[in-house]
Amino acid sequence: MDLGLEGKSAIVTGGSRGIGTSVALTLAKEGCNVAINYRKSDAEAKAVAEKINAMGRKGLAVKADVSSFDDAEKMVATVVEEFGSLEILVCNAGITWDGVIWKMTEKQWDAVININLKGYFNYNRAVASVFMERKYGKIVNVSSINGLRGKFGQSNYAASKGGEIAMSKALAKELGKFNVNVNVVAPGMVMTEMAESIPAEFLNKAVDETVLGRIASPEDCADVIAFLCSDRSRHVTGEIIKVDGGQYI
Amino acid sequence: MTRVGVMGIGHGLFGRRSDATVQELAFEAFRDALADAKIERDMIDASVIGSVPEYHKQRSLPGVVQEYLGLNPKPTWLTEVACSSGSAAMRTAWMSIKSGVHKVVAVIGAQKMTELTTPEILALMGRVGEVQWESGFGTTFPAYYAMFAQRHMHEFGTTHEQMLGCAIKNHYYGARNKNALFQKEITLEKALASDDVSTPLKVYDCCANADGAACVILAAEEVVKEMTEKPVWLDGLGCATASMSVLRRPNLVGLPSATDAAGEAYKMAGVTAKEIKVAEVHDCFTIAELMAYEDLGFCEKGEGGAYIGDKAAYIGGGGVAVNVDGGLKAKGHPIGSTGISQAVEIIKQLRGDCGERQVPDADVGLTHNVGGIGQYCFVHVYRRD
Amino acid sequence: MFQWFGKVNFTPFTKVTEFAQHLKDGRLMGSKCTKCGATSFPPRADCGTCMSGDFEFIEYSGRGTLQTYTRIDAAPTGFDDVVPYTLGVVDLAEGGRLLAWMGESIAADEIKMDMELQVVPQIFDESEEIKVYYSIEKPGTTWHKGDSAR
Repeated sequence: MDLGLEGKSAIVTGGSRGIGTSVALTLAKEGCNVAINYRKSDAEAKAVAEKINAMGRKGLAVKADVSSFDDAEKMVATVVEEFGSLEILVCNAGITWDGVIWKMTEKQWDAVININLKGYFNYNRAVASVFMERKYGKIVNVSSINGLRGKFGQSNYAASKGGEIAMSKALAKELGKFNVNVNVVAPGMVMTEMAESIPAEFLNKAVDETVLGRIASPEDCADVIAFLCSDRSRHVTGEIIKVDGGQYI
Repeated sequence: MTRVGVMGIGHGLFGRRSDATVQELAFEAFRDALADAKIERDMIDASVIGSVPEYHKQRSLPGVVQEYLGLNPKPTWLTEVACSSGSAAMRTAWMSIKSGVHKVVAVIGAQKMTELTTPEILALMGRVGEVQWESGFGTTFPAYYAMFAQRHMHEFGTTHEQMLGCAIKNHYYGARNKNALFQKEITLEKALASDDVSTPLKVYDCCANADGAACVILAAEEVVKEMTEKPVWLDGLGCATASMSVLRRPNLVGLPSATDAAGEAYKMAGVTAKEIKVAEVHDCFTIAELMAYEDLGFCEKGEGGAYIGDKAAYIGGGGVAVNVDGGLKAKGHPIGSTGISQAVEIIKQLRGDCGERQVPDADVGLTHNVGGIGQYCFVHVYRRD
Repeated sequence: MFQWFGKVNFTPFTKVTEFAQHLKDGRLMGSKCTKCGATSFPPRADCGTCMSGDFEFIEYSGRGTLQTYTRIDAAPTGFDDVVPYTLGVVDLAEGGRLLAWMGESIAADEIKMDMELQVVPQIFDESEEIKVYYSIEKPGTTWHKGDSAR
C-alpha cells in the first residue's frame, strides 16, 4: 500500500528512542521530513536526525522540553520554517514513575502528568492553528492499553494515558471540520529500552496475556501510526487502535 | 368604461393593541366604514383582506375576519406582498369591480404584530431579502434601508439631519391625528441622541411595529354616484416589482419598483407628478420617504435632502404635502394595514375633511405603498370630482 | 451541505448545495450556464438568461469594491451573541455582488465607500457543527485552499 506520504513534514515527540525513533524512521522511509525533540539526550536525537538525512529527507533534532508550553510553540514554529510546511504530529514522549498511591509523592504524580498529558496538550495546541489554516493535518497521540484499563501501581500513568484518549476524542470533534484527523494508538507491552529494565517474570506474564503470544516491537506500532498519518486512513478520526497483540480485549 | 370609486372609509387606533384580536381590530375599521358609507352590511358583495399572516397565531385570517364581520357567505381572500399587502388588496378589489364581477367590495387591512417579541419580529422581517444568501449573516429590515441611506449619503451628500427632517415633519402631523400611535412632536436633538439601530439609522429614523386596521369600501361608478355626497375616484393604478435581493438592484439609492409603478399610475390617471397635491408615501424609515420624493418625481434624483430641508413637503411648503397624517413614522406600521391607512387619509383630504391638517385645493392625491425593500410597489392616484 | 452556510441557515436544501462544500475548502464559487455561458454570483442552478437547468461551478477571485455597509446594533434572534456586527455589500470584480460581514482585518474607521476588498472563505471555528461563511478583508489577504475530497 502506498501511503502517499512523499514530501510531507512531521513532528515526532520522544523520537530519540523506542517507539518514537521507529515512528520517525518509518515516516522518513515513507517520504517524510521529520523533526524530533530532545530534552537532554542530544546525541541520540542527532543520530536519528542523521539517519533521516541519509535517506535523503530532512531530519531535524530540536531541543525542547515537552512539558513546556513555550518550548512546544517555538519548536512548531521552527519546524514550519525549516521544512516549509507541517502536516503530521505524533505525540509519543512519555515516562512512567510507578508506585502505589499511598506512597506516591506529589512530584511523582506531577512529573508523569506534566510530561505525558500536558506534553501532549502543548504540542496538539501548538499545531492546531497551523493545521486549521492549511485545512489539513494528521495527529496521532500515542497512549497505552493502560489508559483503557487499570494497572496496579500506575495511577499516575493511567491518569495521563486515559486523559490523552479523552482529549484526543474532544480534539477530533473540534478539528474535524478543518480536515484534521486526530487518533490514538494504544500499544500494550513494547520491547523498548523502557521495557528492558522490567524483570523477566513480568515480561513473561505480558507474553501470556497476549493472544498472539509475543511482545510488540517498536516497528509493530510505527506501521500502524504511519497508516494513521496517511490519507489511507482519511475517514478515521476520534478512533483508538490498540497495538497489543490481543493483550487487552 | 366604468370608474371605481370610494363609498366609505374607516380607521381604527394604531398601537400596541393588546386589548383586541386581529378580527376585533378589523371590525372597528369596518364598522366605521359602513357608517361613513351609510350602508348596511348586506350591500357588501365581497371582501379582500390585506395582511401578513406569519405574524399571527390565527391561521387563515380572511376566514376569521369574514365571520366576525358577519359577511359569510360572501367571498373573501387574502392578498400578501409584505408591507404593501393593503394596496394589493385595494388593487384586487378595484379589478374585481372593473371587470364587473362585484359591485361593492370592502377592502380591509388588518394586522397584529405584537403577538411576537421584538427580536422575533426583527428576525422575521430581516428575512425579507433573499434568505438563501443574506439571512445567514443576520440581516434586519433596518439594515437593508441603512445600506441604501449610506449609499445615498455617499453619492448625493444627503445628511442624517435631512433624513430626520422627514421624521420631525411626520411627528408634527401625527400629534394632530387622533389615530396615530405617537401623539408627540420630536426635536432634532432628541432624534440624534437616540440609540443606533443600524448605522446610520437611529431609533428615530425607524417606524414602530404596531397593531391596527383600516377599511375602504370601493364600489362601481353608478353606485358611488348614487349614494355618495363627495365621490372620490381611484383613477390611476401602478404596480411593479424589483429583484428580491438587493444584490441584483441596478443601484442602492432608489426603488425602481416605485418609479415604474408611479409612471404607470400617472399615465393611467392622465397626470404627472406636478398635479399631485397630497401624498402618502411609505416612510418605514426616514431615508425611504426621502427616496420616495425622488422616485415619485416630486424632485430630481439626489435632491430629496434639499426637498425636505426646504420644508417643501409640509402643507403650504410649495411642494407636494407628504404624510400629513403622520405617515408610518408617527402612526406606527401594522404592515398589512398601512396601504389602506394611506388610502383613508388621501380620500379624507380629497373630501376636504382634514381640519387643521387639510391640504388646500386637494383635488388629486397619491398613495405610495412599498413591500419589503421595494420588491413590490403599488402607486394609486385618487381624484375627486 | 448548504445547511453549513451562514451563522443561522434557513435554506438547507438547494440545487447549488455544493457551494458550501467548495466554501469549506476555501473556494468562492459562482455558476456558469453550460448552454449559453451566462455567469452568476451568487450561483444559481437555473439560468436567468436562457432558462437552462445545466450549470457548472466556476471559481471567483473574491476581489471587489465596497458598495455600501451598515453596523447593526439591534440584533435579530440568533445573532444576539455577536452584536454589533457590520454588514458589507461588495461588487465583485468578475461581476455579481455579495453580502457578508466586514472581517477583522479592517477596522471600523478604515471602512470607506468604494474601497477595494478581498472576500475570504471562512469556517466558524468556535462552533461544534460545521458552519461556513465568507468575510470581507483587506485586499491582498491570502488563505489556504484545501481539498477534502481527496
